[in-house]
Amino acid sequence: MFKEFAKGLSITLKHLLPGNCTTVQYPKQKLEMPPRFRGLHRLIPTPDREKCVACYLCPTVCPAKCITVVAAENEAGEKYPAVFEIDILRCIFCGYCVEACPMEAIEMTDAYELANFSRDDFHFDKQRLLKP
Amino acid sequence: MAANTETMTINMGPQHPSTHGVLQLILELDGEIVVKATPHIGFLHRGIEKLSEHRTYHQTIPLTDRLDYLAPMSNNLGYVLAVEKLLGITDEIPERVQRIRVIMTELTRLKSHLVWLACHALDIGAMTVFLYCFRERECITDIYEKVSGARMTSNYFRVGGLADDLPDGLEGEIRTFVESMPAHVEEYEGLLTGNRIWQKRTIGVGEISAEAAIDIGITGPSLRASGVDWDLRRDNPYCGYEDYDFDVPVRTGCDTFDRYRVRLDEMRQSVRIILQALDKLKPGPILADCPKIVLPPKQDVVNNIESLIHHFKIVTEGFKTEPGEIYQGIEAPKGELGFYLIADGSAYPFRMKIRPPSFVNLQGLPQMVEGKLLADVIAVIGTLDIVLGEIDR
Amino acid sequence: MTPEVLTLSETPWLYTGVMLVKIIVAFVATLLIVAYATYAERKIIGRMQTRMGPNMTGPKGLLQPIADGLKLFFKEDIIPSQAHWFAFILAPMMILAPAFISISVIPFGGDLQFSYDGILYAVPMQITDLNIGVLFIVAMAGLGVYGIVLAGLASNSKYALLGGIRSTAQMVSYELAVGLSIVAIFMLSETLSLRGIVAAQQLPLWGLESVSFIPNWYIFCQPLAFGLFVIGSMAEINRTPFDLPEAETELVSGFCTEYSAMKYALFFMAEYANMITVSAIATTLFLGGWGGPFYGWINFLIKVFAFMFFFIWIRATFPRLRYDQLMFLGWKIMLPLALVNIVITGIAILLW
Repeated sequence: MFKEFAKGLSITLKHLLPGNCTTVQYPKQKLEMPPRFRGLHRLIPTPDREKCVACYLCPTVCPAKCITVVAAENEAGEKYPAVFEIDILRCIFCGYCVEACPMEAIEMTDAYELANFSRDDFHFDKQRLLKP
Repeated sequence: MAANTETMTINMGPQHPSTHGVLQLILELDGEIVVKATPHIGFLHRGIEKLSEHRTYHQTIPLTDRLDYLAPMSNNLGYVLAVEKLLGITDEIPERVQRIRVIMTELTRLKSHLVWLACHALDIGAMTVFLYCFRERECITDIYEKVSGARMTSNYFRVGGLADDLPDGLEGEIRTFVESMPAHVEEYEGLLTGNRIWQKRTIGVGEISAEAAIDIGITGPSLRASGVDWDLRRDNPYCGYEDYDFDVPVRTGCDTFDRYRVRLDEMRQSVRIILQALDKLKPGPILADCPKIVLPPKQDVVNNIESLIHHFKIVTEGFKTEPGEIYQGIEAPKGELGFYLIADGSAYPFRMKIRPPSFVNLQGLPQMVEGKLLADVIAVIGTLDIVLGEIDR
Repeated sequence: MTPEVLTLSETPWLYTGVMLVKIIVAFVATLLIVAYATYAERKIIGRMQTRMGPNMTGPKGLLQPIADGLKLFFKEDIIPSQAHWFAFILAPMMILAPAFISISVIPFGGDLQFSYDGILYAVPMQITDLNIGVLFIVAMAGLGVYGIVLAGLASNSKYALLGGIRSTAQMVSYELAVGLSIVAIFMLSETLSLRGIVAAQQLPLWGLESVSFIPNWYIFCQPLAFGLFVIGSMAEINRTPFDLPEAETELVSGFCTEYSAMKYALFFMAEYANMITVSAIATTLFLGGWGGPFYGWINFLIKVFAFMFFFIWIRATFPRLRYDQLMFLGWKIMLPLALVNIVITGIAILLW
């Protein structure tokens, strides 16, 4: 009986020695996210506009129905999204929008610190989504 | 004069440190002895079964992540296998996919058992084990993150294959981690197994006989600790489990201590399976050759009109199945996880019924704790390894 | 020349002054140790659990206890509407006061000599040397139970009630075992004064000149009593593995479930103050008090801290016992062992 107690005590004592700490000092020290990480979305821009052609695949495939797209045509006759909005509060970060996009116009970044103060701050419109 | 004896009813949960989520137990106590225990569930009901009726087969996969959120890939696997069975493409799944699925679900088993051990030990008061287990679990979530992009809601398996191949160099990382795992299990055992206090708290606590367990429908490690040798991986293999050499740990103590030992042994067996699967892993396709079901590769979508059409059709309409009913059960970390699908020929399931192991195992709780002490309730909740996300669905 | 002993009748002002200084020093030191015991506990357990413990407030987190204190001090003080408000307020005081009072009879050093007005005085480093010191400590430990019972009853909460009941049963039964285990010490020392007990331990072991480098600490001749005392006192101060009254995973917080703000802080302080008291008593009774290689009170503090480290270490390692097992251990194992120990000690004293 005492042998087992001593064994347990020795295991904890061993971990007391320096070098066993696994803590990452989070706000000061951040982990690098792997490339596949599914964080906040980003619309990929081209030099003059966004790559998105408003094909409606992402709002269709979205299981949480959090994407709103309204298509329009510009002067050159190209389709573009007049409105592209993601409600991050509804989003479940499944990555289906990225998988569905035929133009590779949407990607998921490694931004995961999404806390904010009001509900409106979680509506990401086109301008905010285009930011790198 | 007769003593004034009354039982006391206490509400344990849904906000209680050790009901593992939002389980509510109405306990009738006579002193510290439990006279009657009534579990109340449903606080985490999100209607996943109903939601799935309005989503394509493809769109339901991320919902299954949220069933047993401690073992997301097992849920993914169960669902994906069920849909594949419904579509009749089970035999067309490439070998590499099978291997990766086995590796990931066995890692999931390790992950789930680590959280179980952590919380179980914490409930009984050994808080150091909690952090040691979470240290190892962290490595698995890191692997998850590299493979699927999320730490818990993996959404990695697809009908007919995988979302993506394993990233470069990850095989080595998995191997290093898995090879270090037995030493860690020894460490937990050093803190718990031989410890008199741990033995006193677990031996003879929450006993359930094999007959009673079978009557209730208890599955998984809880059943195997009651002496029933039943493991779907061996007795009804799926995903190529018949290729691997592993033992099914069975013990006959029927109590909390033996359930603990069975799970620790299972962790060692999982390590064996993962190592074998890694050895057998060969390069190959990661999607079945079923263009009407699986999404085509991205470069084909832009270059090939046929692929583009398939892509649009699958994304917008989903794929249709033949009308029919199927049941697919897998050995999830917590027991038999079953998906029962009724298809009416459309792209949506007519009805999806999930058989969550935790829900069924929880039914054993009242007879395991009645007549025991309050502290045993905690130990039994821990040993049943319930996850409320799965119970309430 | 032999120093004079200060007395109230001959040098009233000097006596009062010295007394006040001693009280303030002992009290402040205890409070400081209480504060930093919480820090040390979090740090040590953190390291054992591969964490870091507090490290943000001040250098290496050293200001954490003060920050915690301030936070609790400014929090809203909630008294549940159905609680018995008087008993509810009284309870935390009832539990903290005895914990601190026990410190007053513990000798933390030898005599301090100083001259005043040409006369050499000797002051014992102890607030008061009661000739029934040990009884006083046992009595104070007994008083501590009332605080917990009151807290459990007054909160009008079922979890608190269960915690209160558990703790009463636990403290009452372990007090018996602890009390009996130290009876053997009095039989050897033939005094109840803690100062006398320490003085008796400064002699060579068993009076043998050949091993004069080993002091006559009672741990050597009473190892069983020592073991019983340490286990029993762990139970009495509700430390893991005997922390059932506040078993977080079972009873939420036990008897202090309904407490908040400073009242909660008082419970918390009492727990650590009790830990210090128990370590100090164990040091005094079994480890030769202030005796040792260094200057008086340094030896004493080293031994106390070693005990506290041991308690923290145990907490990091062991699971918690169950209520009935705890009672079994107390009444059926520790109590008979303590009795047997007394009988054996008695026979040994008679024979030699």
